[in-house]
Amino acid sequence: MNKILIASHGHLASGVQSSLEILTGMGNKVTVIDAYVDDHDYVPDIKKFIDELDGQTGIIFTDLFGGSVNQKVMLEVADHENVFVITGTNLPIVLSVVLEGEEITKAKLEELIAASQVQLVEEPKDDTDLSDDSFLE
Amino acid sequence: MIAQLRVDDRLIHGQVALVWTKELDTPGIVVANDNAANNEMVQMTLKMATPTGKKLLIRSVDDAIKVFNNPKGKGMRMFALTNNVSDALKIAQNVSDIDGINVANVGRFADKSEGETHQVGSTLMLSDKELAALKELTKLDVPVFQQVVPSNPKSSIASMLKNK
Repeated sequence: MNKILIASHGHLASGVQSSLEILTGMGNKVTVIDAYVDDHDYVPDIKKFIDELDGQTGIIFTDLFGGSVNQKVMLEVADHENVFVITGTNLPIVLSVVLEGEEITKAKLEELIAASQVQLVEEPKDDTDLSDDSFLE
Repeated sequence: MIAQLRVDDRLIHGQVALVWTKELDTPGIVVANDNAANNEMVQMTLKMATPTGKKLLIRSVDDAIKVFNNPKGKGMRMFALTNNVSDALKIAQNVSDIDGINVANVGRFADKSEGETHQVGSTLMLSDKELAALKELTKLDVPVFQQVVPSNPKSSIASMLKNK
């Protein structure tokens, strides 16, 4: 499975981990950083995640583009071409990446991101009920 | 043919449906549930949860059995869902062409007033009736296992039921 770190201001990261655990039982497969909930310096935790990749592909999710967590991550991933950084993180994109069986590529990530956008929920327009025959065609 | 009969108290939900239909290569999803077959709101939510490009059929358990046994469906790989073990047992007893039964999540939102519940693994909370149905299910000639997502290993339900 792809190596994943989620880093956020506050408990969003561990909250996403909790949702992952409930939906897939795979909460323990991701590393999380809840920044600023105490005085702990989280930059070494980012470094440790990148070091332990040992050249393998890794994906780091952050909460806000330009936010301080994202800035710290960008400083650490500089010169590490094996690490992708995704920001504006939501649960669908984390789920998609966690459940992706193959090694992540940039093209694959772009495809998963496109399918994981926030959206306005409307009743499905296609309200036709299939008959048994049309289903089995 | 049923590529997998999944027991999941949430029926179709989110990425899990997406991952399973991809993994099983099933163009058709059949929800076999009496309540859903009679409730338009539930049908709407199930349609919203259906991955793009997949066909969905929502039927009562009895009508679903007719679909599974329809000769036209012999070559079509179907992903079948019930939200309880008793419905799955009824299907398994009346449909011969089933590759496997995945008892994934059951009973965590069930009415607790129906007496004692039996915990089987972390995601199965079974009433007396559901536990009896699960025991019956393991006696049939079809693999019965638990696998929440494809990347998890399959756990045999028969071995999880030992000492129950």
